[in-house]
Amino acid sequence: MKKCFKRAAALLAGVMVIVTAACSKKIDSTENLAKNNEEEEKIVVLFAPMERSRPDAKNVARTAFDKTVIMAEEKLDLKVEYNTYTSENYQEKSYDDVVIDRIRNNMDDFYLLNPDVLQKTGAEGLLEDLSGLDCAKNLREVVKTANTVDGKLVGIPQEVVVYGLFVNKDMFDEYNLELPNTPEEFLECCKVFKENGIETPVGANRWWLETFVFAQAYADLYNGGDVEAEIEALNSGESKYSTYMRPGFEYLKEMMDLGYIDAERAYTYEAIEGEGPDFMAQKTPIVMAYWGAANADTAYGKPDFNLRVIGFPSEQGQMPVMSMTGMSVGVNAENKKDALDVLEVILSDEALQVYAETNKVISPSKNVEVNCIPALKPLNDLVNEGTYVLASNAGMKVEQWGNTCLIVRKLMEGASVEECMAEFDRLQEESLK
Amino acid sequence: MIVPFLLVFCILGIVVYSVAQRISEEMSLSAINNLDESLDLIGNTIETILGKEAEFQVLIAQEMADSKEPEEFVLSYERNSTMVKLSLIRAGETEGISNTGEVFTEKELDFSAGKTVDGLPLSSSYINDMGTWAYTMKCPVNTENDEVGTLYIEYIYDSFDEALPNDFYDSEATLYLMDAASRKFVMKPKGMGERDAGHLNLNDFYHANKISEEDVKKAVNDHINAGENMMFYHNIQNQESLIYMWSVNDGVVYLIGYVPVQAIQREGDAVNQNIFIVVAVMLLAFVSWCLFYLFFERQQRKVQKDREAERELHNKQLTEALQAAQIANNSKTTFLSNMSHDIRTPMNAILGFATLLAKDVDNPEKVWEYTKKITASGQHLLSLINDVLDISKIESGKVVLSIGEFALKDMVSSIDAIIRPAAKAKGQIFDIAVTGIKHEHLIGDETRINQILINLLSNSVKYTQEGGNIWLRIIGLEQHSNQFERVRIEVEDNGYGMTPEFLETIFDPFTRAENSTTNKVQGTGLGMAITKNIVELMGGMIEVFSEVNLGSLFTVDLELRIPNIEVDEKFWERKGIKRILVVDDEPNMCDNVRLLMEDTGVQVDAAHSGEEALRMRTCESEGDYDIVLVDLRMPAMDGIETARQMKRACAKDVPIFLMTSHDLGELQEEALEAGIDGFLSKPFFVAPFKEKLLEIFDERGMETQNKLVQEAGSIAGRHFLVAEDNEINAEIIEELLDMEEATCEIVGNGKLAVERFSEEAVGRFDAILMDIQMPVMNGYEASRAIRALNRQDAKMIRIIAMTANAFSEDVKDALDAGMDAHIAKPVDMELLKQTLSLYLR
Repeated sequence: MKKCFKRAAALLAGVMVIVTAACSKKIDSTENLAKNNEEEEKIVVLFAPMERSRPDAKNVARTAFDKTVIMAEEKLDLKVEYNTYTSENYQEKSYDDVVIDRIRNNMDDFYLLNPDVLQKTGAEGLLEDLSGLDCAKNLREVVKTANTVDGKLVGIPQEVVVYGLFVNKDMFDEYNLELPNTPEEFLECCKVFKENGIETPVGANRWWLETFVFAQAYADLYNGGDVEAEIEALNSGESKYSTYMRPGFEYLKEMMDLGYIDAERAYTYEAIEGEGPDFMAQKTPIVMAYWGAANADTAYGKPDFNLRVIGFPSEQGQMPVMSMTGMSVGVNAENKKDALDVLEVILSDEALQVYAETNKVISPSKNVEVNCIPALKPLNDLVNEGTYVLASNAGMKVEQWGNTCLIVRKLMEGASVEECMAEFDRLQEESLK
Repeated sequence: MIVPFLLVFCILGIVVYSVAQRISEEMSLSAINNLDESLDLIGNTIETILGKEAEFQVLIAQEMADSKEPEEFVLSYERNSTMVKLSLIRAGETEGISNTGEVFTEKELDFSAGKTVDGLPLSSSYINDMGTWAYTMKCPVNTENDEVGTLYIEYIYDSFDEALPNDFYDSEATLYLMDAASRKFVMKPKGMGERDAGHLNLNDFYHANKISEEDVKKAVNDHINAGENMMFYHNIQNQESLIYMWSVNDGVVYLIGYVPVQAIQREGDAVNQNIFIVVAVMLLAFVSWCLFYLFFERQQRKVQKDREAERELHNKQLTEALQAAQIANNSKTTFLSNMSHDIRTPMNAILGFATLLAKDVDNPEKVWEYTKKITASGQHLLSLINDVLDISKIESGKVVLSIGEFALKDMVSSIDAIIRPAAKAKGQIFDIAVTGIKHEHLIGDETRINQILINLLSNSVKYTQEGGNIWLRIIGLEQHSNQFERVRIEVEDNGYGMTPEFLETIFDPFTRAENSTTNKVQGTGLGMAITKNIVELMGGMIEVFSEVNLGSLFTVDLELRIPNIEVDEKFWERKGIKRILVVDDEPNMCDNVRLLMEDTGVQVDAAHSGEEALRMRTCESEGDYDIVLVDLRMPAMDGIETARQMKRACAKDVPIFLMTSHDLGELQEEALEAGIDGFLSKPFFVAPFKEKLLEIFDERGMETQNKLVQEAGSIAGRHFLVAEDNEINAEIIEELLDMEEATCEIVGNGKLAVERFSEEAVGRFDAILMDIQMPVMNGYEASRAIRALNRQDAKMIRIIAMTANAFSEDVKDALDAGMDAHIAKPVDMELLKQTLSLYLR
């Protein structure tokens, strides 16, 4: 027994000695303790619009984007640095204004651009041609068409953004209303809501009201029309944009006049931030938003009611409005090569698959397909059938998305339809010069 | 013992914890001071840059004042990474010119906050035409006497990027530059990730970091308005963090950010971790020591417990052994007491009648009567002694079975011969049945099996009232192996039966149903113990079932080897016997005959009545039976009548045997008259059947045999040498031989016997009767010595062992010593005569 105790004591003492020895460290007097600058990390600077940071929940769209960025960072051994800007009110410079200035001054390496900015800066020759990237070969033709300016593919989106009407089906059911297909049916629904004490049946913001206009303006063009010939006629001045746009503007005007849209408030609202809370609180039965906003953990995810996303009313029935926010690289970017490498990764099929699965969106790659959530099914069905209108088309000389947005804002400010149409005519004339 | 150690360690733990806390607090203060200094350093750097910018702007203004064409000076300026725009407005004018060539006015700039840098007014921050945050300082352009204009230079915040540390606290700390007036974040350091990039102003910073306490926000507001620094703890992303708001240039801009406490307290944490490691190691050592201690303590206890258990077991065994010894002693005391009584009783009779004999020596009738009683008492005494010797031998393990081949029919016959008279004397019906036995010859210790049967049956006779029934059944059980016959022996009676209590001890030695002193039935109480021991020695099993006043049933199961006999298959063929008719009203009996005759190749048919048997007889030479076996007792037509009618009906003389389990008596003559050719005892066995057939076929052989037996009975005129050390025994043998008209010479030990034999002439002695246990030289040595003599008759002379050593091994020892035969004492004269006549023939 004593022997065992002695052995145990010896063992413990041995362990203590080993631990003590392991913890001691002798410093060599010749060792240089100063840290010299090590090789700097490669950085690629991104400028992108960004939702304000939340303490816990993260925006799914950003998360999806981040996933692809992380893939690029790991593959290329570099870091993508985020720069952002969001105006706090309508009086401040908009994101589009700022991003144009930044592109012109080569402030960043790559950008996330709205269609109008993409077309404008592309036309100025400030954006790099991306058609040489491998990832460009996987793109759907419609995507390439929408992002080609002067023969250069200046932007590639990570998702095809589809706008639709987000409706509270429970409220429609409450008042025995069918989901509207045509503008008349939509007005009738708004009328019933208004009569039943719903102050503003349609929640709007200063960015996305033009979707109503596009649905009515180009429903015939993109669904059965001779697209090439009609666009050629528009580009040559044979036909007028105002002719296409008028019904939509008149319709919006009527909606505003009838109080179905509160133009004054909408003019001050940022997208979703303004009208979103009322919609989620079931005070407003209808809003408009992009497809991804219906997914869980996003603005309109996890509602307390039966959410449906449908197309905008048009004479051809419900009409999804498609737009594309593209990733572009500055032609004079400081880290252009690295930025192109980043794009090659984040726009690859592998990355787009991750993106599409995370966001449940339509991918620009013809090789990537995912299932959508039930609420999006009506919209998805229409898109799959080929029923939609494009809100941006780089083939049109007059940029659509941004200009229409600005002109709709004028309507919101009180301009007449005629004045708005005159603005279109002016833009068309400028494009013909 | 552990408790004091535990106490010491608890105290030590508290001390260590307190020290760790103290160190942690001190390190925390030190870390905050470090952070404070770092922020001061960064702030000072920015202030220096701002100061230098202001200083440089004054120099430019001065140069511009000296210039004749200030506008040209403006236009010639090319922007750099710090000063991106340079503009001049002449005094008294509202519009001026920028280096870009554009018209410049002050109205887009806001100097209302009244902030300055080294006395130069500083505008609020704004997004410039590069799309980045910028500020403008204005400086008067003065000549010696007049102010000729105002110089505006636009600076961008991005130029401070180089002044900010790249890896502030290993990139765990965030650092923004906030415009104090608008609370907007005008600069973010490089490498900002998605989450941190989303902070656009102070409210976003609050929102993202869950700073919702109004008092905190108010305090922050007050400090910023006052241009003071502020630092406070707050939980950010589940980490205790320090939030700092550091005033730069009297609160024109603020350094804003947060750092997790853990990040600034690495040293303190490292010290604490090391302390905890040391404590953990010590604790581990202590726990290990405790475990070792407990383990060894437990082992020691276990060993001690085992020893105690062993001791207890030992004591228990000793106690049990003592109790067993006491019980055995008591049993033996009781036994000795019983034996004393049992031996004294016949001894008393012997001595008493011997006295009477001496008295009435002249009265022949009384002499005959006394002699008869003395003999009976002697016989009883002898059986008592035999039993006692038997059990003592069995118990000491010295019993050796004498395995040999025996015939079941002989065994049954001998048992029948012994038991039937006793049963008959008590008016009891004794019935024997043998069924299912396939082999008549078996290998086993016949003597011991006889002993078993006699013990069981004599008990049955003894304990069954007069006129009762006793059954002996020998049943062949299903064989487990074709080399062994499984035999069940059942002995049943309808006698007194036994109590359950007695059944429990019936096989224990030295026990009896009742004490012999109070029991009319004499016996040693050893019979059943001997029986059980013998059965178990044979690998068998004995069981008993009994109820008081109903009777008892003993079953003995034995497995006996089947001998490899060369069956005389040709016997039946030679005798021309192909078909046998068995006539018995009991089907079992017919089946038994068929079973036993199975190997002979003879066809056995059964008839269950005389009438049926008559019908089955064809009486023709072809197809008729060669032999008929007929049972005596059958309903309607008995065996004799059946035989009679058969003889009448059939001209063919077919031998008819009458089977009976009873003494025929007067019926024998009637049977012979009826034409019965022979008698067979039941149960049926093949061997006696064959013998009877042979008798019929060859009567001469029988006559010869009878003659030999008759001749063998006499020893008259023979002269023997008797070696016997006991004088009385010597006298008895001398008298007995004398009664048979034989003579003898008696010597007192083996040596004398050898000498006497060697001295006398050849043929002087017809045989030597040799006692075994004798002084000087015992019987075995003497026999060997005689056989070793160099005499003509040394090998020839018959030596008969005549000894009280009566066991089978004694017989073997005698034969091994060269003796010819063995006769147990007390000497049975008839047996002695038969033995002597057999060897002297």
